[in-house]
Amino acid sequence: MSTDTTALQTANTAGASRPHLLRHLARDPLALIALIFLVLIVVAAILAPVLAPFDPYDTNLRMRLRPPGGDHLLGTDTQGRDLLTRLLYGARTTLALGFASIVVGSLIGTSIGLAAAFYRRLEGPLMRLVDILLSFPSILFGLALAAMLGVGMDSLVIALGLSAAPPIARVARATAASVMQAEYMDAGRVIGLSDSALIRRYLLRNCAAPIVVYCSLQFGETILLAAALGFLGLGLQPPTAELGSIAAEGRSFIFLAPHVSTAASLLIFMIVLSCNLLGDAFRDLTDPKLQR
Amino acid sequence: MTQDIPLIAVRGLRVGFHTAGGTVAAVDDVNFSVRAGETLAIVGESGSGKSVMSLSLLRLVPSAITTGEILFRGDDLLTKPAHAMRDFRGGRIGMIFQEPNTSLNPVQTIGDQIVEAIQLHEAVGKAAARARAVEVLELTGIPSPRARMKSYPHELSGGMRQRAMIAMALACRPELLIADEPTTALDVTVQAQILDLMRELKANSGAAIILITHDLGVVAEMADRVAVMYAGRIVEIAPVTDLFDGPEHPYTIGLLSSMPSIDGDSETLTPIEGSMPDPLALPAGCRFQPRCPFAIKRCAMEAPPLETVRPGHLSACWRAPLLETLTRGGQQ
Repeated sequence: MSTDTTALQTANTAGASRPHLLRHLARDPLALIALIFLVLIVVAAILAPVLAPFDPYDTNLRMRLRPPGGDHLLGTDTQGRDLLTRLLYGARTTLALGFASIVVGSLIGTSIGLAAAFYRRLEGPLMRLVDILLSFPSILFGLALAAMLGVGMDSLVIALGLSAAPPIARVARATAASVMQAEYMDAGRVIGLSDSALIRRYLLRNCAAPIVVYCSLQFGETILLAAALGFLGLGLQPPTAELGSIAAEGRSFIFLAPHVSTAASLLIFMIVLSCNLLGDAFRDLTDPKLQR
Repeated sequence: MTQDIPLIAVRGLRVGFHTAGGTVAAVDDVNFSVRAGETLAIVGESGSGKSVMSLSLLRLVPSAITTGEILFRGDDLLTKPAHAMRDFRGGRIGMIFQEPNTSLNPVQTIGDQIVEAIQLHEAVGKAAARARAVEVLELTGIPSPRARMKSYPHELSGGMRQRAMIAMALACRPELLIADEPTTALDVTVQAQILDLMRELKANSGAAIILITHDLGVVAEMADRVAVMYAGRIVEIAPVTDLFDGPEHPYTIGLLSSMPSIDGDSETLTPIEGSMPDPLALPAGCRFQPRCPFAIKRCAMEAPPLETVRPGHLSACWRAPLLETLTRGGQQ
């Protein structure tokens, strides 16, 4: 009985001594601010229908391009729609787009990376394919795919996911290749596990942490790309509110009413910066070389 | 009579690798058999091919070209389709690795890993598998096995982890246990405990053991028969006492005299001169000949076959039996 309790105590202390995300963030004020900002934006985006003071599609041509102040806290856009409302709905669209895309991208990238590491015969062809995809700038790749697949949420998510996948595949392969060297991979085979069980329970679970961290770094990148496609008119079509297209709409009136483009661009900038800062903090947290 | 039918018989096993410098045979024309309930130790230096050979018995060396026959109760494992091998791995043949620290999946609890191994081979429910897992953990002498089921590998000591590995290997009552240096990474006191445990479990289960080791102390303690490997070949195979009392291959003599003993004179500790040959540039004839004090001209020309010197004692040396050679040499 006494051995039980002491063992449990050691187990507990081992768990407690593991670096905790929040404690780490407390020591990294920039990342903490980024986290708070992101949480606020995400909550605001989710609650946009409740929080938004106006209807995002309610045009009023007499109220076009009003400067901030009065009824319209951030002014109005080219169609006389409330800008704050448009931004809330825009953030909702852009964040959802970025999130769906990074999920798709990490599924594709991780599958390619793990398959390349597990089946050595596939490594050459798969990773050369990834290299070819990586040689295109992601904005060009996304543009080409979006143009090819046409307009719509589905095709946009596929285009963004596919352009996020190659670097994730690389990280996944590198991590998985080192996990493959571990003796427990042989040990798992020795108890008679099938390839798919080995990949899911042994390989994937042991490389999950670095891949997740990398995906969090990629999240900002994907949002930037999503906004860029929207700005270039390859995103969701008007009147859908999307941060990139809001910035594009305001561009023609940048001298007359600078607030439209500025507010949208600033919001994109802040979201992407926060994602990157938070991603960096995640990386530091999981990199033993950078700890204390 | 049934004892004479081997549990596993290896015939002409060759494991080759393609390298930049050409094809290398890590294991070259190896023949041996193990009867049910018997312990065969395979000894040799690092690089002698003993680990590759043990892995190739379960077809776990993916990039290798493996030829020959591995007959398990008369079934050739090398001709089986890949999915059929999974019934043997962990089911009828268990395996223990050298590094208990790295051979358990770090993200799964000990219990889950053992339960998984059981459910892969036996059609039992979760509860029955858990009960069996606790039972095998208890067999291996792990204190409070029920609590250990929920432990992750990093929460256990090296000796505990090796016990858990052994529990996992024994969970499906294998007929053959392959142990690749099971005690090398452990403290000396823990080593003795693990060896005791293996002996005890073998006595209870009747499983045969193939024990890969470079530790002749372990061999003396555990083995019924010993096969000595050098540069990918078996050079001598004999019952354990016969091998220690009357080695019939110069390499075995070298191994034995480079082993310190508590009552022996420490000055008689003699290392074997030279080192293992480069597998890409093996010497002609006998592979040990460049390091062999007994070598004659014939050794550099023809490779000696593994032949019976005494009943049950085989040696691959032109000069065997060595005692006769020595006395004859003395008379000249």
